[in-house]
Amino acid sequence: MKSRSKAAREGASFRDPSGFVFYHEGAPFRQINQFYRDDYRQLMDSGLYQSLIAEKLLVAHEEVDLPAPVPQLAYQIIRPEPVDFIAYPFEWCFSQLKDAALLTLKVQDLALQHEMSLKDASAFNVQFQHGRPVLIDSLSFERLKAGEPWIAYRQFCQHFLAPLALMSERDVRLGQWSRLSVDGVPLDLASRLLPWHSRLSFPLQIHIHLHARAQRRYAGEVVTERRGGRAMSTQALLGLTSSLRGAVRGLTWKAAGTAWADYGETHSYSQGALRAKRGIVEEFLARTGAKQVWDLGANTGDFSRLASERGALTIAFDYDPGAVELNYRRVRAESETMILPLVQDLTNPSSGVGWANRERLSLLQRGPADAVMALALIHHLAIANNVPLVQVASFLADLGRWLIVEFVPKQDPQVSRLLANREDIFPFYDREGFERDFAAHYHIHETRPLPDSDRLVYLMEALPR
Amino acid sequence: MSGMNMYLDPGSGSYLLQLLIAGLLGGLLLLRMYWAKVKGFFRKLFGKQVDEEPE
Repeated sequence: MKSRSKAAREGASFRDPSGFVFYHEGAPFRQINQFYRDDYRQLMDSGLYQSLIAEKLLVAHEEVDLPAPVPQLAYQIIRPEPVDFIAYPFEWCFSQLKDAALLTLKVQDLALQHEMSLKDASAFNVQFQHGRPVLIDSLSFERLKAGEPWIAYRQFCQHFLAPLALMSERDVRLGQWSRLSVDGVPLDLASRLLPWHSRLSFPLQIHIHLHARAQRRYAGEVVTERRGGRAMSTQALLGLTSSLRGAVRGLTWKAAGTAWADYGETHSYSQGALRAKRGIVEEFLARTGAKQVWDLGANTGDFSRLASERGALTIAFDYDPGAVELNYRRVRAESETMILPLVQDLTNPSSGVGWANRERLSLLQRGPADAVMALALIHHLAIANNVPLVQVASFLADLGRWLIVEFVPKQDPQVSRLLANREDIFPFYDREGFERDFAAHYHIHETRPLPDSDRLVYLMEALPR
Repeated sequence: MSGMNMYLDPGSGSYLLQLLIAGLLGGLLLLRMYWAKVKGFFRKLFGKQVDEEPE
C-alpha cells in the first residue's frame, strides 16, 4: 500500500491545473484552484451539477473547510464521495467500456445544454460504482467557448471509440492496448489495424479513418492560420456527440467463443458436489465477516454472488474477457450493486503504469481485500503456469487476510487434461505438498472434502506478515 | 485557438476536422431528430407505445 499520510497527493492527479486530488486521513479530497474558479461556479450555479447528480452521472461532492495543501493556488476544497474500488479501462470488458463511452457522451450533451463542455474525455475518469459507470472528475467541465470545436474529441476517439472498434471489428483482446498506452489507441494505428469493411461504416470512416488522415495532414500546423473563419455551433457540437453515440452503439461484441465464456462453472461437478461446494463457501464467507472479497478466477460470477449477496463488495476477476462480459451483463440486467467484474490475468497482474509508475496503481496496491476466494484456480497457476505452490500461497496472502481455496488434485479430470500433453514435473503437487506450502503463509482453519470428487475446500487465515 | 486555458492539446487535425465537418454534423442531427418525430408519429398512429431509445 502506498502511504496516504496527511495531504498526500494522488499520483494520477497532476495534468490539469484546475486542481488536484489529495488524501487527508485516508479519505480523498480535491483542491480546486483559483484558475478554475469561474468554470466551477458555472458547473455549480447553472444547474448542470444538480442534473448530473440527479441522473447519477457524476460522483457527488460537498464543499468543506479544510486547510488547502497548496494555499497560494486554492479556491475551494471539496470532498467527493469515495469510489469503493478503483479499476482501469484495460480491466473492463467490452460492454463496460461501451457503457463508459455512452456515459461520457451523455455528460457532454448535458454540459452543452448548460453552456459548458467536457474539457477531457479520459476513460480513466470513469469508474464503476454500485454497478454503474460514473464520472469521477468534477473538474472536467469548462465554459463553452463560442465557435470552438470539442477539445476532448481526439481523446474520446483514442480512449473509447478506437478500442471499442478494434475489439468489435478485429479482436476483443485489443482492449489490452490501454495497458501499454495511458492515452488510448493512436488513431493512425487504429486505422491500420481495423478491417477494410470498417471504412464502409460512415461514423468509423469519419471519426477514425478520416480523423487519422486529418491528424497526419495538419500535424504541427497552427490552427488559427488554417481555420479560415470557420466556427462550430452548439448544434454542430450536439451533432458531433450524436454521431459519436451512433458509432459507439453500432459496435457490438458477442462473448461466445472465448475460452471460458460458455464453459459454465457446473461443468466438472455433480449436482451434489456443486450444492456442497456452495454450502461450504457460504459458511466460510460468514465466518470471515469480510466486507470486501476478491474472487480470483470468478468465471461468470456464480460463486462471487455468494459474497455479494451477503453484502460484501465483491470484485470478480477473470482472465477471460468473455466470462467478464457475461458477468457484467448479468450485473446490468439485475441491477446488482455489490459486484464488479474485471479482467485480470493473475499470471501477469496489473502493474503500476503511467508517469513515474504511480499514475495507475498495480493490483496489489489496490488491496488488501478482507477475503480472497480461489476456487478451481490453483491448478491453473501451479500447473499451467509452473508457479511453485509456496509462491502461489505467498502471492495470495499478499492480496488479503482470509482465503477460501479449493485444491484440485492430479487425478481430477481438469488437472489430468492440463498434464495430458506434457511431462509431469510436479512431484509435490498433492494434498500433503499443498498443505505444507500453504502452511508457510497461512493458518489452516478448516478442510472440507467435496462429495463425488477428490477436491478439497479450505478456510485459511494469513499469518501476520 | 481563442481560449488559452486548454490544458490538453486538442491536436491540429482533430480540431480542424471538426470545423470542416461542422455543417454536416449539425445537419445530420437535424435529420435524425425529424426522423425520430416521423417514427414517433407512425408509432402513435398504430397505437404502439413510443419507446425512448435506450441511453
